[in-house]
Amino acid sequence: MTAALAHYLDVATRFQAAPEQASAPQWLKRLRADALSHFERQGLPTTRDEAWKYSRLGSIAEGTFLPRTEAPRDTAHLSAVVERLGLPGPRLVFVDGRLAPELSSVAGLPRGLTLKPLRDAVREDGELLESLLGQRALAKEHAFTALNAALLEEGALLRLAPGALSEVPVQLVFLTRGDAPVLSSPRILVVAEESSEATLVETYASAGPAGSAATFTNAVTEVTLGDNASLHHYKVQVEADAALHLGALHARQGRDSRFASHAFAFGGAMARNEVHAAFAGEGGDATLNGLYVGQGAQHLDNRTALDHAVPRCTSRELYKGVLDGQSRGTFHGLIRVRQDAQRTDSRQQNRNLLLSESAQADAKPQLEIFADDVKCAHGAAVGRLDAQALFYLRSRGVPQAEAERLLTYAFAREVVEAVPAGPVRANIEALLALKLPGAAQREVTA
Amino acid sequence: MALLTVRNLHARVAGKDILKGIDLEVAPGEVHAIMGPNGSGKSTLASVLAGRDGYEVTQGEVLFDGKPLLELSPEARAAAGVFLAFQYPVEIPGVGNIHFLRTALNAQRRSKGLEELDAMDFLQLAKEKSKLVQLDAAFMNRSVNEGFSGGEKKRNEIFQMAVLEPLLAILDETDSGLDIDALRTVAGGVNALRSPERGMVLITHYQRLLDYIVPDKVHVMSAGRIVRSGGRELALELEQKGYGWLGLDGAKASAAEARR
Repeated sequence: MTAALAHYLDVATRFQAAPEQASAPQWLKRLRADALSHFERQGLPTTRDEAWKYSRLGSIAEGTFLPRTEAPRDTAHLSAVVERLGLPGPRLVFVDGRLAPELSSVAGLPRGLTLKPLRDAVREDGELLESLLGQRALAKEHAFTALNAALLEEGALLRLAPGALSEVPVQLVFLTRGDAPVLSSPRILVVAEESSEATLVETYASAGPAGSAATFTNAVTEVTLGDNASLHHYKVQVEADAALHLGALHARQGRDSRFASHAFAFGGAMARNEVHAAFAGEGGDATLNGLYVGQGAQHLDNRTALDHAVPRCTSRELYKGVLDGQSRGTFHGLIRVRQDAQRTDSRQQNRNLLLSESAQADAKPQLEIFADDVKCAHGAAVGRLDAQALFYLRSRGVPQAEAERLLTYAFAREVVEAVPAGPVRANIEALLALKLPGAAQREVTA
Repeated sequence: MALLTVRNLHARVAGKDILKGIDLEVAPGEVHAIMGPNGSGKSTLASVLAGRDGYEVTQGEVLFDGKPLLELSPEARAAAGVFLAFQYPVEIPGVGNIHFLRTALNAQRRSKGLEELDAMDFLQLAKEKSKLVQLDAAFMNRSVNEGFSGGEKKRNEIFQMAVLEPLLAILDETDSGLDIDALRTVAGGVNALRSPERGMVLITHYQRLLDYIVPDKVHVMSAGRIVRSGGRELALELEQKGYGWLGLDGAKASAAEARR
């Protein structure tokens, strides 16, 4: 056993044996204990594991991260950070993995929507949680999902009653302060019942000064979409340079449901984002989009998996990477079309723009098709800025740096423009403008 | 003083000598036409003047407004007042035509110490200038040249020139591939931009352009040199007799033949 594995086992064992956990419901104790044994059995993945071939765990594998055991204090001054990152509307804010009630507010939550901290849901919605937690994200198949479940305590429940409709986005904001090597393990549960529709934004950011300590966020989101339900899900990850981030979203889609995932990965030393969508009823529609923008030595990993298990479902994937410095971006997209899944219509595209000689992109499309009446297409490309276009812009007087920035933004905007116009998109545009190379020089607006 | 002075200019591309001693002087207000068969080096001259990568100047010098031009970056040349209308305008998906042009104009204005134009003022200017080449508002909001027809691309070049108001405009085969209606529109735009301060160099394969834009001087290029210079009558003579008349070898696709 490696020292890191021993460390995480020890952390989870101590968490589960802590006196304040004695009153936890039996089902939760069992879920955590089972997860711990799954974690121990699997151990930490290495690059020899196919699913982790491109992921360097970095200091995650050094095993120094610890969960916060006490509620966050003195969070009031973080409200400015939350305002800057967030949008108006109901939100729950977590600091170093723990709920920060004074930064959170569920005021203005539309009728039919329930948004509550997971701790409260454990008490108040035990039956629902028992039936759904760990059903989409399987601890037995994923070591870090197991670790998240072994430490399961904080997070959120978003529940949409049948026919409930939310025009305002619901937000979950996860801040790390970087004053200690903190391990955060949020678990988010989304249950959208028949014909309901909502927008959920998960934002991960750092609130500490530059040069703060590394933090480790290991987030798991489980989404259950009822028949004809719709969820627009946004993940905006803008953590600090030293942050390590693992995130896995698992969605199960009922008949005629729509799921749109937009994942923006701008931050972190190493960030891996997984999105898994499985069709459980005919007529489902999934959109999986992503934009990863790396600089310096950032390592941004994207993994998607679409399970076309039933007929007549549609999926569209567009992942784009902009990589500068010595950064590395990877995209691994699996599309599985099972034998029964006739009339599947699936398209996947991954395109990467390299801005420096030493940046690197790896694209791995993977199609497993067992049905015969299907439309499946995929494409992957890695390229550089178009020299002709660059000269054209410069010949009109646009300085080189600005021309490069214009072209880079033009490349990235396709993913941003797939976000419906509104405050969520405006927020992402602003964060992208800050992130793109040369951001400080001039503001670019369309 | 001449606006543009080219002296004994030699340039090579990929190790191959293309320009072999060009001399040219353009005064403010003058329109010069440079004609010649394919491969004579016309477009290379335009690229070297605009500062395109991959062209190595091995001898000679170019003065623009009395100052050395070749050491400047393409954007600095543009700011100084040089404009190249591309033979093949580049499509740039994702960059809005109007946003691009405003960025360019404001970059040029910044480098001259002028105040930038805000979006409203710029739009007003763009609308006015677009009338010159009958480019409608819909084009302005599309991505640069993306999905434009050949004629639309060339009109867009002249529109950009009208907005940027250069001191020297080099039009690289702006007439090639245009139907007569489009040619008339483009030529009308160019004529409207003729002014006592502005010099123009029209690079063309076909004499037809010169029916619509009447040049002050005509030069014939062959094998990297200007082999004959004269007034407008030189172009007419060329049209009647073809490039072969000047003893230009390999000039099969003569201007006259091309018009038959």
